[in-house]
Formats: sequence, C-alpha cells, structure tokens
Amino acid sequence: MIGGKIAFASGMLVALAGGWLAFPRILYQTRPEPVDFSHKIHAEKAGAKCEDCHSFRDDGTYAGIPALDKCSGCHTVAMGTTAAEKNFIDNYVTPNREPAWLSYARQPENVYFSHAAHVKLGHLKCEQCHGNEGGATGLRPYQWDPISGYSRDIWGRPVDRIGLRTAGGMKMDDCVDCHRRQGLEYSCLGCHK
Amino acid sequence: MKTTRRNLFKFVGGTAAGALLTPAPWRLITDTALWSENWPGIPRPARGEIRARFTHCTLCPAGCAVRARCVNSQPVSLTGVRPHPISQGALCPWGIAGHHLPYHPARVRQGPLKEALAEVARAAAERGAGERVAVLDLRPGRTVSWTYRRAMAAIGNGLYLTPRQPAYAIDLAAAKTVISFGAPLFDGWGTPGNVFAARAGFKLFQIEPVESRTAALADVWLPIRPGAETAVAGALAGETTPADAARAAGVDEGAIGAMKEAAERGPAVVLAADPASPLMRLNAKLGALGHTVVARREAPVPDAWKKAAPATEVSAAPEGAIRVLLIDESLAGGYVPWREIAPKLAANAVVVVFTSTGEGYARHARYVLPAPVFPEAAEDIGPAIDTPAAVFRIAAPLVTPVVPVATPGELAARIAGLAPGDALRERADAIHKAGRGTLLSYADGKSTPVKQASADDFWKTLNQGGCWMDDSGKKEAPGKLESSAAAEPPRDDLPLAVVVAEARRDGLESPLLSKLDRESNLRMAAGRVALSPADARSNGIENGGRCVLDTGCGRLSAVARIDPGIPPGVVEVVGGPRVADLCGAKSRARVVRA
Repeated sequence: MIGGKIAFASGMLVALAGGWLAFPRILYQTRPEPVDFSHKIHAEKAGAKCEDCHSFRDDGTYAGIPALDKCSGCHTVAMGTTAAEKNFIDNYVTPNREPAWLSYARQPENVYFSHAAHVKLGHLKCEQCHGNEGGATGLRPYQWDPISGYSRDIWGRPVDRIGLRTAGGMKMDDCVDCHRRQGLEYSCLGCHK
Repeated sequence: MKTTRRNLFKFVGGTAAGALLTPAPWRLITDTALWSENWPGIPRPARGEIRARFTHCTLCPAGCAVRARCVNSQPVSLTGVRPHPISQGALCPWGIAGHHLPYHPARVRQGPLKEALAEVARAAAERGAGERVAVLDLRPGRTVSWTYRRAMAAIGNGLYLTPRQPAYAIDLAAAKTVISFGAPLFDGWGTPGNVFAARAGFKLFQIEPVESRTAALADVWLPIRPGAETAVAGALAGETTPADAARAAGVDEGAIGAMKEAAERGPAVVLAADPASPLMRLNAKLGALGHTVVARREAPVPDAWKKAAPATEVSAAPEGAIRVLLIDESLAGGYVPWREIAPKLAANAVVVVFTSTGEGYARHARYVLPAPVFPEAAEDIGPAIDTPAAVFRIAAPLVTPVVPVATPGELAARIAGLAPGDALRERADAIHKAGRGTLLSYADGKSTPVKQASADDFWKTLNQGGCWMDDSGKKEAPGKLESSAAAEPPRDDLPLAVVVAEARRDGLESPLLSKLDRESNLRMAAGRVALSPADARSNGIENGGRCVLDTGCGRLSAVARIDPGIPPGVVEVVGGPRVADLCGAKSRARVVRA
C-alpha cells in the first residue's frame, strides 16, 4: 500500500521536475546572433539614440533592424580590437554581406504591427515592449520554439506566463490587454492580415 | 519497494497527474495549434522589406485613394489616404479587400484571344453598309473611353455606346437639405468619405418604402407606398398639395410640408436611386442648378482626340445594326440589361466581352476574354457623381496580372489601326499643358500648383498615386438632368414593386467579405428575395424556402426571406446583372412558391 503511494508520488515528482525544469530547456532552441553587438557602447560612446538606427522611412513605414549600409557608415574599418569587431568587419563589412540578424520580436505571418501608430500616435517608448535592450552590453542568444516557430519573446520569458511583467510578452492577449487598459479599440482586422 | 505491475501503473498515474500541474501539456496544446498554421499548403505572405505605395481604387467610380502596405512589391493590406481631398481617408470594405481579387477563384482566367481577334477582324471587314462596329463602355469618362471613341471614329461607322450617364455632379457640401428618392446615400452612393464629411452640413429626407441603411441614418424617413414617388415630387414642385401627396403616399402630411419648406429655404438638392430619373427635374424647380447640381467637368484631353465619336446611349442605337460589339466590363459601372442590347445586334453579330466575372455579359457573349482586375491595370478614374471639380488620378498597378489578360483599350485601338501610344501619358501632358489646378502627392501630403511642376514630375507623381484636381472653375448648370427612358407601365398580374438592395453586386468580391457580411446576414446574399409576412403568407412561401421571382421579362429562382421590415406590396432583391436583366427601373414582379 505504502509502496503504491511512493510510486505515485515518485511519478508526480518526476513529472513536476520534468515539466517545470526540463520542459522549458527542451522546448526552446538557442541560436547566437551573427554579431555580438552592444547597444550600450553605441548609446554611450557614439551617443546614438534608438531612432538613429531603428528609424521610420519617409513614407511612414518602420525600417526595423538597420541594414549594413547604416553600420558601414562608421565601421568602414575596424573601430577597436575586439574579436566581435574583427568578426563584423571581416565577415560582413568587407564582403558587403548583410548579417542575418535574428529578430526577437517578429510577429507571426498572420499579423501586422504598426510601429508608427504605437510610437508616433501612442507615444510608447521602445522599452515598454522591448525591455531595456538599449542598456545591454551584448545581444542575448535568440531562443525560439521549433513547434510554433515563434521567438521566446513573443510568448514571454516564463514558460507558464505566471508573473509576467507588463508588456513582457507580445502575444495577442498582451496586445488586447494593453488596448483594453488604455481604452483603445481592438478588432480582428486591426492587426490580422 | 518492489517493482510490481501495480506500482508501475501508479507511477504512470502519478506522472500523468503531475504533468497536469506543469505548463508542459497546456503549452503543447497551444504550440500544436500554432504548428498547424505552418503546415505546407497554407498561404504565407512573403517576408521582406515593408513599403507603402499609393494608388486609387477602381472598384467603383468613386476612385478612393489607397495606401497599400507592401512586403517587397506584394500588397498585403490596403487603407485609405487621410489627406485626400475627396475620399478623406475613407475606404469601403470592398476597397480594403481589393488586393485579394487577382487571386479570386471565380475569376475568368482564360479566353480564346486569337480566335476572337480573327473573328472580330473578319466580321468587321465583311459587314454590310448599314452594319456597325460598336464598343459598349460601362465606365465612361476614363482615358480609355477616349481611346474607344477615337477608335470608333477611325473605323468608320463605329458606335461608342454607354449606359445612361448623368451629365451633372452633386455638390453635397453646398446643400443644406438633401431630398433622396431611394438613393443609397450612405451605402455606396458617390464617394463614401466625401458623403460622410458633408453629412453634418445637411438635413436628409429619405423617401422610400423600405427602411434601408440610408433611411435608418436619415434625419427624416418617409416610408411611402411603393410607386408614390411621383405624388411626393408633385407636392415638392407645387403641383399638388402636401395633403394630397400625403394621402397618396400614406405618410404624414406634416413631414411632407416640413420637407417642402426646407427645400424652398435652400440650398437643396434632390437625388434619385436612378441618377437619370425624371425626378431629377425637381432640382430645376428648387433652384439647385448651378449651385448644388452642377455640370460635370472633365480633365483636358489632347486636341487631336476631339474628333472622336460621340457617346450614344444604347437605347439610341439603331435596331439590328451592330455586327461587332466589344463590351468593356473590366470595371463595374452601369449595367445595361441584355434585353436592351439584344435588339440592336445583327443576326450574325460577334459579341466579345472583356470581364473578370462570368456573371454579367459573359452569359450572352460569343467570346469571353479575361480582363485585368484591380489592382492589376493602369487606369484613370474620372470624377464621381459627388465631385464637382475636374480630377485626374491614375490607378497605378500594384501587382502584375496573375492570369494572361486581354486589355480592351489596346484591342479596340488595334482593330481601328490607331497608332500605338501611351494614352494616359498623352492625357497627363495635355492637363499639364493647360496649366490649371493643383497636384496632390499622397506620400508627403503636399499640394503643388501644376504650373510649378515639370511635365515629367507631374507624370511621375500621378504614377505614384498622386491626384490632379481643378476646382478653380465656376459652377455651371448642367445641360440635361434626366433620361428619356420611359417607366414600365404597371401590370395587374405583377402585384409587387421591386426594390433593389445591395446594388454593388456586379463584380468579384473578396471571399473574406463573404464571410463578414453575407454569411453573417449583415447583407443579403445573391439569389435571395425579401418579402413581407403578409405577401409570403398569401403566396404560401416559407422563410428560407425556394421561390421564383417573375418580372414578366424573365424568372429567377431564389431563396425567400420573410422580413417584417418589408411593407406589403414590395419585394426586395439583391442587385447584380442577373437581376438587372430581369428588372427595369420601375419594375414589378410576382413571387411564387417554387
């Protein structure tokens, strides 16, 4: 009888450990960014602001991650002796090859998101959705869920979404919650293609 | 503890119970659903650079300005353009889903182009002395319309045919009172953005038997008896008293008196569901001509084009004389019922239709050729009925045609032996040479006087979705308001007056819209008729049952909807070519159980 209870409890413990500890590690795959870029150095030493690189085009659309042209304006030659700088110059600037950046915040195919509406009309700060990327000394590894194909940032860092900070995820529920809090409209065709 | 079969099952049971207390199964359910979105065969928009491109919608004559969000060069969503002086940033649901149309499964995708060309050339060469080559243009006022007119002049004995076209424009912004005899003012009439921008400035009296969407939004709705429009018009013209009109129409005398008083105070305008209706003559009595009803203005054309064939209404064409008829049905416009066209054709006539849908003239033509659809073709759009100013705007293509299409303008020019050229560019140069008006660029919202732009810049801006507008001219009274078309005489065996709802059902529409409106019953679907409970009961028709609509000109099988909002003596039908072929402007019908 006791043996049966122990067996049941053991099974539970195994499942709990697997589900809470091993599952998040198994679920996400990790890939490094092609270049170890430091937002902090660019902000502090070059005095760059978010919108200097992540800019809007003249027609109002958001340019997203800057193209190599933007970087090579300053990095025509190596600006330092670090391994990251050497990697960037040798593998990308010199052969004029675009780095294949992995976007943490890319929304799925069936959604479009307007930065212009949120930044220019809604006056949201970049950090409110993207966190303090501007103060980071390096790029964190890109984590993605191979089943859904989504970046971990879309779901939010905690796998159970418990204790998720405000704007800590970019799921539809997060968009709707924010619009509801602000008393803004939210309808299907507002975001879905 | 011994490893027994029982303990093993308990371990598995514990594992299952424990798993439910972790995020793993719940997350896997979500992930599996998302995974199914990425299965092979599910269409996925391309990834790429996001760009905005500007153009104009050609789905109706309003020609609203469109901002297309494109991934690389593929449009993925359409919206209105806020600084547009006419469409005011509005875009209707048809326009919003317009970029789906090139891929519509019901689109005409192929046709015997070579065979049709050879047959047209043979018939044109062999035609007798009194036989004519004709083009029927359902959307007159475009640059390609001038190509047709030039081609018909060059071919000798050619006819350029059009549906009944109003020669006037309505200046809603100048009106304080609008009296509408069934015109769908808030449901597809004119340019939606322009109408709603002017809405606060006028009081609307809507006169019609059925509570349409416009009637529901009107300041005053006069639910008249079917066919009593003439009596109400008589009161407005002072030919009868409001009391007599109220008795004939079955409405409150006070409402007619108030409407008459508001109309006389002016400035007022009278609109009719059929823009060529004799009811439009009321505008002359109300002093609206030259104020709220003005002559339609057209953008300048090259001098060399002015020897073109005149526009002729189909009803004025000679009987049995048309040997070759080319029908440009590529853009939805005025539909001429086939029963008006058929008597004009010679016995061995060759009819070629350029269309994207099998619903219209494709049912009657010998050759059906696939035409480009929005946003595949470079077209210009003339001023809509609510645009008093001359305008010139180009629907710059957003996608290359996804099926091999035949362009009707090119074909007509080739048959007539016109020198090949870019008619749009020639027209733009003529407008630039005239030096009037301003050029609005949507991308930056700037207005530039034409005189300050070079001819090349003018052309470039137009092709990037710009709009030329000449609102500097004086308002002039239009020459002709109504058509000569006679109303059909009433028949005792056809007890129901036909009211056409959902008039814009003459082309393809996105399957997404079908989901949003027709399947949710927000709008009536094609092949349905709505009847009052009394009329349905007297004919033994059940809600959702099959019935037959008989207009005396033909019969249409339909599904009946019993609607307490429909007054007795009225049958509401969904517009479109099949219904237009059956129902005239003042049509009557009977509905019987199938």
